[in-house]
Amino acid sequence: MPQTITEKILSRVIGRAVTPGEIIYPEPDLITTHDWYVVNFDSALQALGVDRLYAPEKLLISTDHEPVAVSRQAAERQHAVRAIVRKYGIEHFYDVGRGGHGHIFPMELGYVAPGMLVLAYDPHVTNYGAAGCLGVSLVVEISEVLACGSAWIRVPDTVRVNLQGTLQPGVTVRDVAQRMIVDLGSDLVDYTVVEFGGPALAAIDVDRRMTLCNTPVEIGAKSSLFETDQITEAWLKPRIGDRFEHIRSDPGANYKAAIDYGLGLIEPQVAAPPTPDNVVGVSTVAGTKVDYAFIGSCANSSLADLRDAARILRGRKVSAGVRLIVTPGTQQIAAEAAAEGLVKVFIDAGAVLTAPGCGPCAGGRIGPLAPGEVSINTGTRNDPGRLGPRDADIYLASPLTVAASAVMGRISDPREFVH
Amino acid sequence: MELNYRGRCWKFGDNVGVDGDMMPFEFALQRETRLDVLAPYAMTGLDPDFPQKVRSHDIVVGGKRFAQGNPHIQGLLGLAAHNVGLVCESIPRGSLRNALNAGLPLLPACPGITQRVESGDELEVDFRSGRVRNLTQNWEQTFDPLPAALLDIILAGGWQPALKRRVEEMLARGAAQPT
Repeated sequence: MPQTITEKILSRVIGRAVTPGEIIYPEPDLITTHDWYVVNFDSALQALGVDRLYAPEKLLISTDHEPVAVSRQAAERQHAVRAIVRKYGIEHFYDVGRGGHGHIFPMELGYVAPGMLVLAYDPHVTNYGAAGCLGVSLVVEISEVLACGSAWIRVPDTVRVNLQGTLQPGVTVRDVAQRMIVDLGSDLVDYTVVEFGGPALAAIDVDRRMTLCNTPVEIGAKSSLFETDQITEAWLKPRIGDRFEHIRSDPGANYKAAIDYGLGLIEPQVAAPPTPDNVVGVSTVAGTKVDYAFIGSCANSSLADLRDAARILRGRKVSAGVRLIVTPGTQQIAAEAAAEGLVKVFIDAGAVLTAPGCGPCAGGRIGPLAPGEVSINTGTRNDPGRLGPRDADIYLASPLTVAASAVMGRISDPREFVH
Repeated sequence: MELNYRGRCWKFGDNVGVDGDMMPFEFALQRETRLDVLAPYAMTGLDPDFPQKVRSHDIVVGGKRFAQGNPHIQGLLGLAAHNVGLVCESIPRGSLRNALNAGLPLLPACPGITQRVESGDELEVDFRSGRVRNLTQNWEQTFDPLPAALLDIILAGGWQPALKRRVEEMLARGAAQPT
């Protein structure tokens, strides 16, 4: 039977051919959780009478949601996390100053290979799909995986998206990702894995593939991933060596739908409050005054994203009355951004840099909004309260649009800056 | 635990939100999971009197994307607290997991069901076979039931009791080896 990438991965993991719709208990190749779900899983295991992990060598923990503790409560939590890490003998622990965002640095460091299954606490583990890996979030049920080695998942259908065409000037993959979830729609995508392929892949690097893999989960996708190609190979080979193997769906594999999707959007896209799929062309909301801009999050904190922002910020100043926060995804990205001179561009423009990780997007614990303020940023979600107070408006956009808006002090079309 | 419910229909439309419609958002922020605390607020975003009117073994019927939004469990716990069953046209995957975690019997994929019932109809739902009978309008239809492995979680009373049983079996077998 011809199989999709997802069916191949799950079949390999459980040792027999899977069928979409069936319930399986797969043992993942890697498990991830972050600093805000360590004390919790420890309590859950204690309540069950479990005093050791089923496979501690598979667990990777990253301190990315609140890397620099900004409250006494956070400092105490970090202290507790370190003790729990020692108690269970967890080797792959990336504390503040070590890794950065747990949906990005494990790819840089060679933890992620094509064909792997990763089960995670956090929903945006789908980023690993940029490397041809299936990342699935189980939220609190990750405790079951830690205690027993597996938890149930339903073998999903796959929606194939063939990317075509080329990006217009001023339009980025983030714009496409935002528009695409609206065009695909939750009725089609719910429970499915969105699998990317098609002729346009040759123009989309691994950084930007993460952005495309980050978004479908907002409308109910189980995960998203790319088939591998020369770009994946060139990016991963230096990191994982001989563990690199191509993974693609078989010809004749059974898709729920196969869709051709063009990159040739004519206008940058903005997700207006209150949901990530409330997407409009930038012209619809242009002119809206902003108080706060942010470039970062697991959707848009790669070197490619920082370069995009710097294209607009170089030689310009952030508008008076606007604060711009830039959060590089990882320690490595921060170092490269410094080496390339991007950090100086941001500082000269009047932006501030935070520690690598989620930045403000993790619930606004770092750099929240004040009630009544308006933000435009590259975060993953714009639900009321995402950056602190519920009565603050959040617009989501590309690094180009966010940088242009920060300079102008109002939501602005980046095509006025980028030709 | 038997999985055949007979009671009155409480019909809601498409896109019922897990936060706000099904349960005040504050309870999600507080990670409140006590059933006695949540029960008086079940569905009050859409029907303030629902907790007073609903009875054990009644059936909540939802449209498409029932319990949509960030996958918080509180709205599903609110229904489970009233010992009702859920029949809906579709439910996002995070809320499906939460419904199972809450031990809420459900038929998650019943296309067109909201066109065939009205609030107050007498319904009988067998969650094991997927058969729905509308005794008021005199029809019956069978939908896909949950797979047996997921029915087991509901029969155990939800995810935590199911996990507890799994861990006990595992420890009894000595399956978790020292590392």
